[in-house]
Amino acid sequence: PAGPGGVAVHRAGLKKWALPPDYSGITIPEKPKLKYMDKVPAVPKVQREPRRLRDIRGPSQVATDFIQGQYGILALGGGYLHWGHFEMIRLTIGRSIDPKSMFAVWRVPAPYKSVTQKSLGHRMGGGKGPVDHFVTAVKSGRLVVEVGGRCEFEEVQPFLACVAQKLPFPAVPVSRESLQEMRREEEEKRLDNQNPWTFERVVASNMLGMRKYLSPYDLRLKGRYWGKFFLKHRV
Amino acid sequence: VPVPVLVLSAAPAAWLPALQLLRRGSKAVTRHWKAMHFQRQKLLALTEYVRPRPAVPPRCLPRRAPEGQQEDGYARVLRRQVEQTLRGSRMVAVCQYNSLPEEDVATLRHFLRRHNIHVHFVFNEVVRPVLAQSKYRNLLPLFVCRNILLVSPQAPAREMLRVLKGVPQVNLLGACIDDTILSRQGVENFARLPSLEASQGQTVAALSLLSSQTSSLLQRGPAHLTALLDQHIRRLRDTGAATEPPLGQSTGDH
Repeated sequence: PAGPGGVAVHRAGLKKWALPPDYSGITIPEKPKLKYMDKVPAVPKVQREPRRLRDIRGPSQVATDFIQGQYGILALGGGYLHWGHFEMIRLTIGRSIDPKSMFAVWRVPAPYKSVTQKSLGHRMGGGKGPVDHFVTAVKSGRLVVEVGGRCEFEEVQPFLACVAQKLPFPAVPVSRESLQEMRREEEEKRLDNQNPWTFERVVASNMLGMRKYLSPYDLRLKGRYWGKFFLKHRV
Repeated sequence: VPVPVLVLSAAPAAWLPALQLLRRGSKAVTRHWKAMHFQRQKLLALTEYVRPRPAVPPRCLPRRAPEGQQEDGYARVLRRQVEQTLRGSRMVAVCQYNSLPEEDVATLRHFLRRHNIHVHFVFNEVVRPVLAQSKYRNLLPLFVCRNILLVSPQAPAREMLRVLKGVPQVNLLGACIDDTILSRQGVENFARLPSLEASQGQTVAALSLLSSQTSSLLQRGPAHLTALLDQHIRRLRDTGAATEPPLGQSTGDH
């Protein structure tokens, strides 16, 4: 701050103490740690199921918002989680949280989709291979785990980021506020875009016959998704 | 099994090609980044996000004060304390404070306390709103840098000046004594005034001066006459003439 004559006048103001956070409405459930997820479902399917990669494609319609916890891991791409991933998440989070004051909750089901694998070194043909392992499909925009309790985002962020890095799809730790902020920014971007040509508009009215080179799914995905990838920078 | 759903969209019905041949080998969803058709790449490049660019950049416009500044409880408590001290004091002196070592501050406090002067360290941002609403409005320009307030229920200006003279780091800026705002010179003049008892005695003496002079006023004429006659006697005695002294009778009449 400049005083008379442009000289800086140093002054110490009153220190504004922030109030400690209010954790009055938070109850820790009986089993605060993450549940163990089976490798194989209790009733394993005998019939081998087709690949159906459309369960990876596009935005998620389920588990997009917080239920119990305040912080979580948001998937920014599609992918399959297998038992190894589940164990990694369970053990890392179990190691890092304090069960007396924090809790964690799964937002994805145990592996249910069977994945077949032909034995190595064989030529094509001979039918579909046997079931190798089971996976869970995760679409982008879905929460994987939720963490809550008497803690701040800064405490939780390091180990959630560690877990998010090891997942097979790009993921990021979020809190309720940061997720809201992300959505708000996205909406703002969509509204104040100065480009009169949007993907949505071009595809919907099939300008220049673009739909010859695009998929019918692009009507719904609006250029923000390509395969299992989520294009964050697209409006 | 996915159920085909009829989707009614607001967009007009588009022309779809009758056959969509899958020329390439890979499926729609791949682990790797599937290479896009060039037309699709062009479309994505065309429909990229364009940031709004206002004519005047926001950094050239005046910045609004950050909203949502909560009232600080601690500041409220400090303000209430300052209000209480101001209410219960006759003398309020504002001094500029340059840093002193702690023991010197304690010594200063001790010497001032001997004359019943209390030292208050104040925050400008706390004191300014309090002063603006009270009667000490005109002291506001003094609260710029680090200040201390010397408050006292009496007004021992002389002692205060004597103590402050020995502390060069504390400079008196101004004071408000008995609802009168005084500058530094004013305080010095005030200190030089006689004490209350002495000035009361002087006032009484000045008022009773006239009444004390009444008796001497009344006796002035006869006293003058007496003096003249005495001188006359002395002159006659000097000349040696023996005249009947009618003095005794004349003085007896009056």
